[in-house]
Amino acid sequence: MSISTGPTSEDLRVIAEEVWASYLDPEGIRPLLLDYSPDEKLDGSDGEVSAAVSVTGAWRGHVVVACTSAASKHAAAALLGIGLDDVGGDDVADALGELANVIGGNVKSLLPEPSALSLPHVVIAGPSSGSRWPAVTELCRLSATWYDEPIVVSVLESTSREGASAA
Amino acid sequence: MHAIVIDDSRAMRLILRRIATQIGFEVLEAEHGQEALDILATADPIPTLALIDWNMPVMNGLEFVVAVRADPRLRGMTLMMVTTESEQSNIVRALAAGAHEYVVKPFTPDAIVEKLALLGLAPSGASA
Repeated sequence: MSISTGPTSEDLRVIAEEVWASYLDPEGIRPLLLDYSPDEKLDGSDGEVSAAVSVTGAWRGHVVVACTSAASKHAAAALLGIGLDDVGGDDVADALGELANVIGGNVKSLLPEPSALSLPHVVIAGPSSGSRWPAVTELCRLSATWYDEPIVVSVLESTSREGASAA
Repeated sequence: MHAIVIDDSRAMRLILRRIATQIGFEVLEAEHGQEALDILATADPIPTLALIDWNMPVMNGLEFVVAVRADPRLRGMTLMMVTTESEQSNIVRALAAGAHEYVVKPFTPDAIVEKLALLGLAPSGASA
């Protein structure tokens, strides 16, 4: 189903900035910068990490957080309070998954009820969101940089019931 | 005082552990509701406080709240949901099931401490 209203890029900006201020940059030293050109999309190359949560119910789709491996390591280091050199794959999966969970939960609050949020699904060095969810349309997107690395948050609405399950 | 932090995210458990520790709690951790119940079955003393995520594998936070409220041995625990589930209907469900407080992620440490102060579990005006 389609919705006439729903989250916008401005909503994603507000949510992301709150997440960064709460967890990733509480001192305001390394804020999320909204200067990233949407044309420079993450392309699903080996250096990409993506985390997604699926929404099912009155609205069906996914909220995806995608970034470079470097940005994901910064996120894990900040969330877990460890050095960048100590960040491992499990740390990245945990941190990106929780970011997707928090951002996705807040996006869900802007969608029709009732709906349910899945547990996060993290892919390290996986394909881009476009190929992982072929039966979707992008409802809105936030493109930003952090530590000079691109970070993209996107809300993908399923165009078929079968397309709502995470890949 | 003892607390138990129940969240499937290690990062979130760490953040909540830091906050609780800074206001004087000794902290246990569990990755989901069932693991928390298993810990509580042998815990001595029983934690005063549980900080509970909603969406977790095995047993979610709401199911955990229901299970705790059904166990007379755990009736003294204060239950605080800390979750991304922000719909009013879910807040009502959790409070009706027996949760005392509800905090929506993302949160600041001060927001958690302020809620705990209202419950008498943190000094008023304390900050984490």
